[in-house]
Amino acid sequence: MFGFTRYYLSDTSCQMTDLLPVVVVHGGAGFIPKERLQLSISGVCAAVRTGHAILKGGGSSMDAVVETVIQLENNPAFNAGCGSVLNVKGEVEMDAIVMDGKTLASGAVSAVRNIANPIQLARLVMDKTSHACLTAEGANQFARSMGIEEVPQESLITEYSRMRWRKNLAPDANPVESQMGKAGTVGAVAVDLEGNVACATSTGGMLNKMEGRVGDTPIIGSGGYADNQSGAVSTTGHGETIMKITLARLILFHMEQGRSVEDASDLGLACMQSRLGGLGGVVTVDPQGHWAARFSSKQMSWAAAQRDIMHYGLYTGEHFTQSIN
Amino acid sequence: MSAVLVVHGGAWAIPDELAKASVDGVKTAACEGFSVLKRGGSAVDAVEVAVRALEDNTVFDAGHGAVLNKDGEVELDAIIMDGRTLATGAVSSVKNIANPVSLARAVMEKTSHVMLTSQGANLFAESIGISTVPTETLVTEYERREWEKHKNYMTGVIEDFNTQWAHDTVGAVALDSAGNVACATSTGGIRNKMVGRVGDSPIIGCGGYADNFSGAVSCTGHGESILKVTLARLILSKIEQGKSVTEASQMSLQHMGNRVKGAGGAIVVSPSGHWAATFTTERMAWAAVEQDVL
Repeated sequence: MFGFTRYYLSDTSCQMTDLLPVVVVHGGAGFIPKERLQLSISGVCAAVRTGHAILKGGGSSMDAVVETVIQLENNPAFNAGCGSVLNVKGEVEMDAIVMDGKTLASGAVSAVRNIANPIQLARLVMDKTSHACLTAEGANQFARSMGIEEVPQESLITEYSRMRWRKNLAPDANPVESQMGKAGTVGAVAVDLEGNVACATSTGGMLNKMEGRVGDTPIIGSGGYADNQSGAVSTTGHGETIMKITLARLILFHMEQGRSVEDASDLGLACMQSRLGGLGGVVTVDPQGHWAARFSSKQMSWAAAQRDIMHYGLYTGEHFTQSIN
Repeated sequence: MSAVLVVHGGAWAIPDELAKASVDGVKTAACEGFSVLKRGGSAVDAVEVAVRALEDNTVFDAGHGAVLNKDGEVELDAIIMDGRTLATGAVSSVKNIANPVSLARAVMEKTSHVMLTSQGANLFAESIGISTVPTETLVTEYERREWEKHKNYMTGVIEDFNTQWAHDTVGAVALDSAGNVACATSTGGIRNKMVGRVGDSPIIGCGGYADNFSGAVSCTGHGESILKVTLARLILSKIEQGKSVTEASQMSLQHMGNRVKGAGGAIVVSPSGHWAATFTTERMAWAAVEQDVL
């Protein structure tokens, strides 16, 4: 890695760069209606502050991405946890994944119901079981065994998500188009002071999806991937398309071959669009602290924190900065 | 374009008493799948037929012959992928379906989704007239006895020897005369798994992947390890970089062993007709047919 400033410590087993730590967050790719823009941007900014504080305090990238995503799940403005879109039956089924770049350990849940923080459950799958993914009733059983409180479905459903569900029940509705970004999947990637990367992604899935539909989010290599040898990615966009090209893993293959975070991300998104006509967005980070927030859709709310500066944006090409304090 | 079909019946320390039946099983399935290709059938049709034959054979842990989860129930996973369009269908944790690979194909062809799980997958099966079969028809006496035995083991002991676990997931890859590749993988998972545990088999890029640009792969072995390295997609990324099917498979399996201490196997076919069956476990039941040679 050449071409940027770094400080060498006398202990050469640890090359510290002043680019660490970093956390990057997204709140979904697609079209966000005007009245919800402010909610989306302030949501990702608030969440990135949380992640940043954890990293600055010496916390791990895994802690940072999980706490960040928990906050976004609790925020009804996003399609995760509270605020999740509804399936065709008007019910909430959620998916989530976490991955640890140091060990490649991963935890995921799919089609889980009645819990406030699927990302927390995903992490427990990783930490407390010998498995990597639990689904549906099995995931709920595990939650109970971990003492995770079951919440009434109503507490996860907002007026907004119910309204959109009703609208999309009409036979001529187009949920895919209608969905794009109006309420987004959430996710985060981070690199901590030790150079460990991690990712986390959480969602309520696709508007009016079939019962039991699993999208890209809990699918390792698609909704997210993290490897200390290359970097971490969290994705958003049209789930089925992201799965077909295993977008997160594809981007990291490009990085393994020497591409920058921006180029690798753009290449992955371009492949998705040219081969399958799908749109999406990603947040990507490498172990040295280079990061990117890229999207092929019109918008993606995103925020990053590095060196006490918060970066954020919404439309293509936007890049605002302000002091994080 | 010369058609090729490769099948596997699981990578693990297959005990001698099951060895012959395993080899016979994969040979039969390979021939059945190949006859589809010979008639000019598609790679997708061929892999489905081959995997159905393996699902129907109680010697393998897929469909009939599936292992039981912690609650003594059967939960099945499967995936099928079309290398021409990247269209994919997958089901996870579906109960009491005789041929999960066909249900996965229905997800691919009859819905706008790629994957359905659990109850939702069963509801979908019902809606298209695929009936459920009683657990007893899918589970063998042998399996029930083994399950009873294992219930009493401490999980810690078993985990140390992940190569010793029964990993007889089944799968197939094919190249048809039109130059299209496809893959399919199907499993009952691991004995005594937690309810709702999903392994690598139905996970795109892990249990299988197919892309006309690089090839088709189906994997078997320690599921959680395969997931961590997205094994199928990893193998194809090496083929994309110019490695041969054998090198790509060996390097990837070695990487999996080094990085996450997992063992397994993979079958691969490239768009030019080269194929490989590679494994780092003690044994793997596999069979391949090309140009009428088994």
